[in-house]
Amino acid sequence: MIDQSMIDKITELKAKYPKKESALMPALMLAQKANSNNLSEEDMEKVAALVGVTSGKAFGVATYYSMYNAVKNVGKYHLQVDTNIPATLMGALKIVDYLEKKLGIKEGETTKDGLFTLSTVECLGSCGTCPVVQVNDVYYENMTTEKLDSLISSLQEGVMPVKEVNYNFGTECNVLLKNRGLENSTSIDTYIQTGGYKALEKAMAMEPQAITNEVRNSAIRGRGGAGFPAGVKWGFLPKNTGKPIYLICNADEGEPGTFKDRQIMEYDPHLLVEGMIISAKAIDSNLGFIYIRGEFEWIADILEKAIEEAKVNNKMSDIDIIVHRGAGAYVCGEETALIESIEGKRGQPRMKPPFPAVEGLYGCPTIVNNVETLASVPFIIDKGAEAFKAFGYENNTGFKLFGISGAVNKPGVYEYPMGISFNKLIEAAGGVKGNLKAAIVGGLSVPILKPEELNNLNMDYDSCIKHGTGLGSGGIMVISDEFSIPELALRTIQFYAHESCGKCAPCKEGSHTIVMILKKLLAGHGTIKDIAKLEEIVNTINNVGSTLCPTGQAFAMPIKAMIEKFRDEFTRLIK
Amino acid sequence: MQITINGKSLEAKKGQNVLQVAIANGIYIPHLCYHEKVGAAGKCRACVVEIEGMRGLQTSCSVPVREDMVVETKADTVLQAQRLVVDLMLSSGKHDCLSCEQSGHCELQDAAYYLGIERPTCQYGDINREVDETSEFIKIDRNKCISCGRCVAACNNTVVNQVLDFGYRGHDTEIVFNTDKKMAESTCVQCGECSQICPVGAIIDKHAIGLGRLWELDKVETVCPYCGVGCKLNLHIDRKSNKIVKVSGVEGSPTNDGMLCVKGRYGFDFVGHEDRLTTPLIKEDGQFREASWEEAIELVASKFTSIRDEYGADTIMALASAKVTNEENYTFQKLIRTGIGTNNIDHCARL
Ligand SMILES: Cc1cc2nc3c(=O)[nH]c(=O)nc-3n(C[C@H](O)[C@H](O)[C@H](O)COP(=O)(O)O)c2cc1C
Ligand code: SF4
Ligand code: SF4
Ligand code: SF4
Ligand code: FES
Repeated sequence: MIDQSMIDKITELKAKYPKKESALMPALMLAQKANSNNLSEEDMEKVAALVGVTSGKAFGVATYYSMYNAVKNVGKYHLQVDTNIPATLMGALKIVDYLEKKLGIKEGETTKDGLFTLSTVECLGSCGTCPVVQVNDVYYENMTTEKLDSLISSLQEGVMPVKEVNYNFGTECNVLLKNRGLENSTSIDTYIQTGGYKALEKAMAMEPQAITNEVRNSAIRGRGGAGFPAGVKWGFLPKNTGKPIYLICNADEGEPGTFKDRQIMEYDPHLLVEGMIISAKAIDSNLGFIYIRGEFEWIADILEKAIEEAKVNNKMSDIDIIVHRGAGAYVCGEETALIESIEGKRGQPRMKPPFPAVEGLYGCPTIVNNVETLASVPFIIDKGAEAFKAFGYENNTGFKLFGISGAVNKPGVYEYPMGISFNKLIEAAGGVKGNLKAAIVGGLSVPILKPEELNNLNMDYDSCIKHGTGLGSGGIMVISDEFSIPELALRTIQFYAHESCGKCAPCKEGSHTIVMILKKLLAGHGTIKDIAKLEEIVNTINNVGSTLCPTGQAFAMPIKAMIEKFRDEFTRLIK
Repeated sequence: MQITINGKSLEAKKGQNVLQVAIANGIYIPHLCYHEKVGAAGKCRACVVEIEGMRGLQTSCSVPVREDMVVETKADTVLQAQRLVVDLMLSSGKHDCLSCEQSGHCELQDAAYYLGIERPTCQYGDINREVDETSEFIKIDRNKCISCGRCVAACNNTVVNQVLDFGYRGHDTEIVFNTDKKMAESTCVQCGECSQICPVGAIIDKHAIGLGRLWELDKVETVCPYCGVGCKLNLHIDRKSNKIVKVSGVEGSPTNDGMLCVKGRYGFDFVGHEDRLTTPLIKEDGQFREASWEEAIELVASKFTSIRDEYGADTIMALASAKVTNEENYTFQKLIRTGIGTNNIDHCARL
């Protein structure tokens, strides 16, 4: 129901952003929450009129992002089980089976009493604590069948249980995870007590160019996946355009296998806020955005609280930061899709050029950086570029968060210098559970490696490239010999087909076609010709790379590697 | 400036993109989302080419020309990428060319022909998308839609009716009317701009279905008879039956640039309608009877003359029609001003 108080809230939202259309996504979410988690056609039309966009735009947005329940109806409790690769490696399919039996419904269905809807969903950014069941907004992690029993009975009584949190983590560098184990680690007092906001004080006395120079000298490469040097990117901003400059923190954390940025935001939010204030000063920006994936609702609240605290403590005299929640779309991690999403549109990548630094958010110069990149800035300013470079080695400098999931004994996030050996990391994560068959070391979009390729692998940009893969986001997924590669390939491409934004033809239809071919092969109906077709598609997309954004290559590369490295397993499927 | 395409040096102007230069010089590059009127969208990826000094393939619809640019449109990698795209499009839709209304002027067919694709090779599932025939003049067949986005851009940016949009995501992406309503229940005004710009047979003028392939029809360029805007249009005529089968707007015309309204595009059935008058009629004792032109004109002239003589010329008023030509309108006002002697003359386009 859209009542007067919601109309007021939507009016407020419109005023909060530089352009009113940006209010569309949060406004649709408000309407959905007020209507037992379902978004009605009537509400869509009303919200469109209130925000000032066409009803087609509202419908387009509501059916683009998976968190809007616009054309599906969900029950009071929407049970969403992550079944992406890390989750599958950690037993999520058993959880789905158990829930199907227990509730007497299939995935995608709702119980007759309207109490439960069961869905399988893509990576929730919680790979270290899989299996995860998200009930409405709340993550229940490390699920077992016993825990499911008590969860369901509690929900049947109308009570959302308090969630248990039990993460593994470790740090050798003590920077990004420094406050990780402390009580009240999110409060500004704790942050200041451990030396927080000292870098900001120093930065306030520096010229913007001097800040940029320090960051450039640190040679820090973007931690979002592409590894572009941050200081160089900042240097691309055109001077004196008369337009405002925006700083966007990419907190979409969508790459399967990646759950590192949330460690910073959830446990040390001021580290990010301080990093953003300093970076904004360097690039002369007065307005920053944190684009956070919509599933991290509670983390978005933590960030908003931290921003409030920073304001009250006079840390943000020249800048404001808006926390913008996504609504379920992997591609929104791509920087131009992210910008479209903040502008209230379907989060689809733009053609480049122009690059965001020249023409980004609202057509203005914009810098997009990952959470971890920005959270490293206070250290660089406080201790200096040289101290940063003391970690890692040339072209691969600094400390880095590695998320380790799958078949290991202590899945979690570990902070080590760049260049740490793969084996040492696995040791930190408690060692392999079972027999090592393969690993994907940079998030799902990079080629898989076999044990012999992992042996002398170091976890940094150059070593990964040398080994025929990529460091990506540093999300490591360990695969044991319990798993079949063609099955993992199918689950992998299902993810990309589900997330393909649908803007360009080769990705939209290519990903879908690969799903169908792999299904046919796994059903035992495949032929050699089907494998050839499969390879033709991935090779063309990978080698010729003709998609609009890198997502095409992001699925072509890993599928190609799976087929090439585990060809036997594919040909064996042919009867 | 000069650029080189496939070894040939060609004249190009600053601000043009590579595709425009190729088209202007008769070099075909498949392009399924680009259209002069809606610009580059980068969606279909069929227009990729190799450009010296640039990494990977580039979409020719979006890259602006530079002095001495060297472009290759027939490299193996180019054709391989184009083939994949066109094959995937053919495979993921129901492209039954034999019965498709668009056959012969379908841009997907042209691309397949150019690339030598005989049949789709990536068909791995059923295609069962919605066909919407609810509206009076337009048929929507989503099974043929290639998601090029031209119709959406045209509806929102060219005619600014803001009805069409994209809904859903990935392979499930569909064009939608408002909140995915049936076309007839949406705010669509049936202007048909989307039908004219659609490269394939997904948006079709309903009343022309089955009445003749476009290439069999004669094209006559004329001016819309309805209103004072004077939109330029083409009548597509079947000479054998002497019927107008279809109307399209003339792209590039300064008055309407291809756009038309529902009347201009679809309201032509009156031309051959059986209720149309074929001889003058004179009403006597409440009944019409057929008359000759001489008799009818004689009668009108004598009545007008006597009214003018008895009550004065200003008791007569004349209203001209937009359905006749400027020349006819001119002679009509001349007749009223000098023949009858009044300035009481107006035109329906002003109403
Ligand atoms: C499909 C796709 C998904 C992406 N997802 C993320 C993401 O979740 N988080 C992120 O920081 N960067 C992501 N990126 C990379 C961003 O586009 C961008 O390069 C990055 O945010 C820049 O920040 P950095 O230079 O600090 O790494 C993604 C890129 C692509 C192509
Ligand atoms: S490759 Fe194309 S369809 Fe895929 S996500 Fe990028 S823009 Fe969208
Ligand atoms: S007929 Fe005109 S108004 Fe209707 S959808 Fe097509 S372009 Fe839009
Ligand atoms: S209906 Fe036609 S114009 Fe519209 S997106 Fe589909 S193919 Fe393109
Ligand atoms: S015409 Fe260039 S991408 Fe479609």
